[in-house]
Amino acid sequence: MTSYGGFQRTGYGAQAANEDGGGFMGGASQSGSQGQKKSYVDEFLRPVTVRQLLDCKPGYNDSDLHLDGQPITQVTFVGQVRSLNPQTTNITYKVDDGTGTIDVKKWIDPEKAGDSESKFGLDTYVRVFGRIQSFNGKLHIGAHHMRAIDDFNEVNYHLLEATYVHLCFTKGAGGGGNAAAGHDAGGDSMFVDSGNHNSNKTANCSRAAQRLYDFLSGSEDGTTGVNLNEIVSGTGMAASDVSRAADELLGQGLVYTTVDDETWAILDY
Amino acid sequence: MDATPRVTCGYLNSYVNKNVMVVGKVIQLRGESALIDADGNITAHLNRDSHLTAGSGVQIIGKVQPDLSIKVLSALDLGTAVDYNLANTVVELSHQHRSLFASD
Repeated sequence: MTSYGGFQRTGYGAQAANEDGGGFMGGASQSGSQGQKKSYVDEFLRPVTVRQLLDCKPGYNDSDLHLDGQPITQVTFVGQVRSLNPQTTNITYKVDDGTGTIDVKKWIDPEKAGDSESKFGLDTYVRVFGRIQSFNGKLHIGAHHMRAIDDFNEVNYHLLEATYVHLCFTKGAGGGGNAAAGHDAGGDSMFVDSGNHNSNKTANCSRAAQRLYDFLSGSEDGTTGVNLNEIVSGTGMAASDVSRAADELLGQGLVYTTVDDETWAILDY
Repeated sequence: MDATPRVTCGYLNSYVNKNVMVVGKVIQLRGESALIDADGNITAHLNRDSHLTAGSGVQIIGKVQPDLSIKVLSALDLGTAVDYNLANTVVELSHQHRSLFASD
């Protein structure tokens, strides 16, 4: 054990403190360190303006950038090419969407070199899909894909979409019941996330499901749950919509059925 | 280049001596200048590189003059399939949600 322990100490450093706890503790701290790695499962492609990218701030642990309280890695945006700087392995574009300018680096695929990797001319509108990267404190975008925009309306469409997504994160997905609307009135505060914790759990749910969840969490029935009829009269939703929303929440493990199949309670954990 | 706020005719007097971006329809070409409709008529003083077509859409980036005309720095022809209502809505929206668009 001594020789093995010595090996562990050199190998893992931080784990040495847990050594006396045996193998299980070592495993636990290992999984903890894995948890700090980026989880690619949570990544999603977010439409943004360049201004938002430039205003991104690092989160608590200084590793990921955050926008509207959400970690942000993959982005898509539109803009005009203002300058391009071709190198042997990549092309760096300066892309301007009227709200700011950002560097976009497109690596050249050596296997496709020459033909399809066409360069984008000055002042052409492009759509960029890429990953935010920070180098020496300066942001740039590592582009996975870039394409020219043929229909100018896509530019305006994109700006609307970016605004919509921003509002979804800062004010909730909208369309909720009265309780939710009251909650959202404080949406402009700096503590959106801590205040509106329901919307974190139901962030991936439809509006009906979010509304149902808000209604259930607002009712004080404890573990007995709320019956379909009460929900219908309380929210004004159609019974079929309530059933569908409940199925969705059941599937996500956010509610459970109590006395019968049409009575639900919040599954709190 | 710094940020160029999206504006329509009505916003021009807030942006005198600043660079702005306007999306509108070319109504009339008069040699060195053009009349552009962006929720109101704007006179644009063209540069040598701008190639506008009467009747089609244009995006101009330029400096707002004290007489509320625009001295064009760059012009981009957008063709005829431009949804001007959409463009004007985006301008309104960009002034409502300044954190996403604003430069000041």
